Order: sequence, then C-alpha cells, then structure tokens
Amino acid sequence: MADAAPLSASRLAGLWRVLEEPLRSPDGPLPARLAQAAVSWSGARCGALYLRDKDAWVRAAVAGTFEPDSLDLPDPIPGEPTRCEGALWVPLSAEGEIHGHLGLDGIGPEETADLAPFLAIVLGGLLGAHRLSRLVKEADFEVRTRLVELESLYDLGLSLSGQLDIAALGDEVLFRSISLTDAGKGTLILIHEDGRLLLERSLGGQLLSAEQFASWDVPEGEAVINNAAATVPTCGVRLASCEKCLVVPVTVSGRRLGVLAVADKESRNGSVLDFTPADARLLSLFANQAAAAIETARLHRAAIESERIEREMELAAAIQREILPHSIPEIAGVELAAANLPTRHVGGDYYDLFPLSRGRLGFLVADVSGKGVPAALLVSTVHAAVHLQIDEAKTVVELVTRIDRHLRRYAATRKFLTLFFGLFEPDTGLLTYVSAGHNPALLLRRHGPMARLNSTGVPVGMFPDATWRQETVTLAPGDLLCLYTDGLTEAVNVQEEEFGMERLSALVAGGRDMPLKLLCERVLAEVADFAADMPQYDDQTLLLLRRKEVES
Amino acid sequence: MSEICKVAAERRGDVAILSTDGYINNQGGEEIARQAYTQLESGARALVLNLEKTRIVNSIGISILIEVLEKVMDRKGKLAFCCLTPTIDKTFRIMGLAQYAAIYPTEADAVRAVSP
Repeated sequence: MADAAPLSASRLAGLWRVLEEPLRSPDGPLPARLAQAAVSWSGARCGALYLRDKDAWVRAAVAGTFEPDSLDLPDPIPGEPTRCEGALWVPLSAEGEIHGHLGLDGIGPEETADLAPFLAIVLGGLLGAHRLSRLVKEADFEVRTRLVELESLYDLGLSLSGQLDIAALGDEVLFRSISLTDAGKGTLILIHEDGRLLLERSLGGQLLSAEQFASWDVPEGEAVINNAAATVPTCGVRLASCEKCLVVPVTVSGRRLGVLAVADKESRNGSVLDFTPADARLLSLFANQAAAAIETARLHRAAIESERIEREMELAAAIQREILPHSIPEIAGVELAAANLPTRHVGGDYYDLFPLSRGRLGFLVADVSGKGVPAALLVSTVHAAVHLQIDEAKTVVELVTRIDRHLRRYAATRKFLTLFFGLFEPDTGLLTYVSAGHNPALLLRRHGPMARLNSTGVPVGMFPDATWRQETVTLAPGDLLCLYTDGLTEAVNVQEEEFGMERLSALVAGGRDMPLKLLCERVLAEVADFAADMPQYDDQTLLLLRRKEVES
Repeated sequence: MSEICKVAAERRGDVAILSTDGYINNQGGEEIARQAYTQLESGARALVLNLEKTRIVNSIGISILIEVLEKVMDRKGKLAFCCLTPTIDKTFRIMGLAQYAAIYPTEADAVRAVSP
C-alpha cells in the first residue's frame, strides 16, 4: 500500500482542468465522463468506475482501451487505495460514505501515492454530490407522484359526481387506475343489477371477460394482488396475457357492480415490478369512487324514468278526466249522483250517463281488469265503443254485444271488463239492463225488501261469441238503485278486513232518504274512514239512481 | 387511442413536431425519446410534443419526458407541449414539467412560441 502524498495545488488544478470539460458537457452520463477524465488525467491505459446499485456494486462506466475481462472489482473490495493484479483501486468517498470505486490499469506503482488521494477526494466529492442530486430528484419525483395521486382522487370524485355518461365514467376510472399504478394494461367490467353487461373497457389488452367475472366470488371490497402469476387467487380466474395482477371488485352496499383489474406494473428498465399494498389501496379507492358514481348515475336515470312515467300518468289522468262525465245530467223523474276515486293517477273504473230520446236515460258502470295506463287505455276504448254504438243498437243486449265485438277487434290489450248497462224510462220506471259479470247492483225498494240485480252474463271481452241475457225490472217512485265497483266493497282496513256488501247495503239503506249527492259523499267518506291509513289498490266508483217520487 | 403508443415526426425548419397516439408509458416514452434525440441530432433546435391523441401517461413516461427535457435544455434548445387533456395538463404541472416546458392549447401556438 502506498503512502499518501501531500496534495499539490498545481496537480489539483490540473485535475480540475481535465474534469472541467466533461463536467460541463451534456453528452453522456456523468459516470462515463468521470471515468474518461480520470483516465486522461492519470495517463492510465484504461479505467472502470463502479457505482452502487441497491446492494451491489456494478460497473457503471469504462474508459480508455478497455478489455472485457479487465478491471473486475477485487474481492474483498478494498476500503482504501490499493494495487491489485497490477491495477490501482481507489475508493471514492465523501462525508464518510463510499460512493464508488475507480480502477485504473496501465499506470506505474510509483504513481499510486500521487494519484490516489486526488482521485479519492475530487471524484468522491463529485459522485457524492451527483448521488445526492439524484436522490433529491427521486424524492421530489416521488412526492410529486403522490401529489398527482391525491389530486387524481380529488378530481375523479369531482368529475364522477357530475358524470352521468357511464362510458365516459368508465374510461376516466380505467385510465387513471392504469396510469397511477404504472400498470401496462387494465380492464374494467361493469354489470347491471340483473347481471347483464353494462360496460367493458380495456387498455393494453383485455384481462378478463364478463363471463369470467360472473363466476367470480370475491368478498366485498377486497383487493387481490398476485405478483407470482396471472391468476386471481380467491377465485381461480386466470387473466389473459400478463405476469402479475391487481384486481378489485366494484361494489356498493354489498351489491357487485363490476371489477377493476390492472396488470404488469412497469419499470424504467422494462422489467415487471410487483404491485404493492399502496397500489391495492389506490385501486380500491378508485373502485369505491367508481361504484358511488355508477350508483349515482343509475339512480339519476331511474329518477328521470320515474319522472317521465309520472308525466305520462298525469297526461293519461287528464285524458281520463275528460272521459268521465263532467256533470250530472238533469233528467225529469230521476235523481242521480256519481263519483269516481282512482287509486292511481289513472284507473280502470269508468261510468257514464247518456240522456236519450223520449226522456230516457242510459247509464253504465264498468270495471276494467288491471290498473294503470293499460287499464286506462282500455277504458278509453270502451268509452269510444259505447259512444259509437249507443245510437246504432236497438236493445241493451245488442249494445253490450257490439261493445264486446268492438273491444275484441280494436283493443290493444287482451283484457276484459265487467259492465252494467241500464236503460231507464222514468215515465214508467222500467229499467232494462245487462250486467256483464259485474257486482250485484243493489235495488232498495221504497216499500219492500232490498233486491240484488245479479250478473246476466260473462265479462265483456273475455270469450269470443259470448252472449248476455237482458233483464227488466220496474222501479217504483222512491226506489233507489246503487251501482258500484269492487274497489268499494273490497276496501280493507288495518285488520285486513273488507268493507263488504253488508256495510255498503246498510249504509245506503240508512241514507235512502238523503239527497243522493250527500249519500254518495257519505258512502265514500265511510269507506275512507274504514280503510283509515291503509293504502288501497283498486279504484272506487259509485253511481246512485233514484226514481223520483211523484209530486202530489 | 392506440394500444401501442405511436409517434409521428414532422419537421418545420428548426422545429420538430412529435405527435403521439396512445399510452405514454415505458414503451411510449422510449419511442418519444428515440425520435426526439434523432431530431436533435439532425439539427432540430426546438421540439413540440403534440399529445392530442394521448389520454393517459404514467410515471415512467413522465420520467422519460423529463430526461428528454433535460437533454433539450442541455443543448440550449426549447421544448413545448400542446393539446393536452385537462388531466395530463394538471399532471405535467404538478410533476414540474411545465416549469421548464410551456404548455399551449394548440400546435400552432406551440410552434410559434418555440420558433427561433
């Protein structure tokens, strides 16, 4: 081992002049420039510079006339300037830390003492500064990268909360997930609640299909890393064309909405890195945000759809209000009252009143099967049929038959209805009627027991070529006819008890002397009281007709 | 957007315009660097990177872009970016790229700004 020589200012200045140019030059990495400068200054045939890469020393640069097998770092690595197999080895240190090892071949042993201290101090200091600069840059890059992650999460939350386009939303989530995990590829699959595919997006290659996801049973919110293979360990699903994967389900309130998968984390040297728990946390956050945004978008669509249906129902209700009589006609010898309470905007009940020639009155009460818009459409068809046929038919039964044929021919839906049509002649009190499967009408005699006018045939529209019986009955002055739909008699209370025929009969009988308008209101009020807060699911219609007493 | 990042080069005098299409990751960044260095070697004094068809950049791609930027600055050249998505624009500003390379909304603006 050579003794250290005192530092010569002129020698140091010479080294600096040699170093100045390569240090200022932008060409090539710093280690190569330092190796070249050391060879030039020392007059060595060749040189090699070793730098630390994680736990190992690697040859970072060579200079001069270098042969592949020359200047291998000695083992053990010398801790101070040493000659080994003819070469001079100098540890390059600064601040008590060795930053590199320089090997120079082709210089005489006598120069070792002169060269080594200069090289150790100057190159060591430069490498130390270079390494420090690199560490600062890396730390700065790392901090900025974390900031980008945080900003991305914030931005994603903002943009997703206002994003109702599922495809754009999917791209946003997938792209950010891939870029922030440095993944080479990724796939996002989203499904509807009923399992149908909602969205499938991939970048860099499709990792898995919706069919594979369908068979996947991963606990809620659990991210799965597999750095050993492309298989998702919890379910055995094998992802396509990748080495390492990170997969997280997209769920909300325990419901699976999809899956987000990324694969093959990139490195600067082209190797595939392991995914880390931090990557898994980040991906889970993206998946959670995506789930919330997708749910928001779904609820928004549902709200829009609900609003649209509501508007349509309101329109249908307005049409139906036009169908029902706006007022009760004044017919000599007859007192009338009627009311209709649909349980929804539009209902399946219908009543109508027709002042006819010779002071006669036609009236009907009908109850269509089903509810809502389809029932309202059929009511509309019945209304059209009755108004078209009433002047053509010669008898009540012919009218009902014509209505039946009309419905079977023109109705858009295959539904049926019960119907009571009556033709009343106030002069004689004669009532001619057909009851097509309708609830028994109640006939309260002024003098005598109550009678029921039962059905005289099947509901209209139910069977082809159906026929009905036409019946007649005479109403004496003061007799009261009560027509209703089953929404009244089948109204239920909290005990799930029906209002029933008996209560209705008793109620009407008790009010038989009341003005019919008041009686009508009373019946509806009693039924409402009976049902109290129980929601009712059927429309309620009541039509009362009384043959007026002959004025003395 | 292309699966593999493609880079198209166009030369207008001393200005080289590199237009990317796809993910700027390790592969995309390397391709940009290769073409950028080729342009610098052939005398380009300024580079414009048009990222109109790129929607995604990862940290490896950014580190390569920083290397390209350092190389351009060492040669006393200029580099500008244009047509960035809002996400990439924000990322570049946070990562410090915008500190040394200006960002312009259009290619014409960028070319005009870096032209000698």
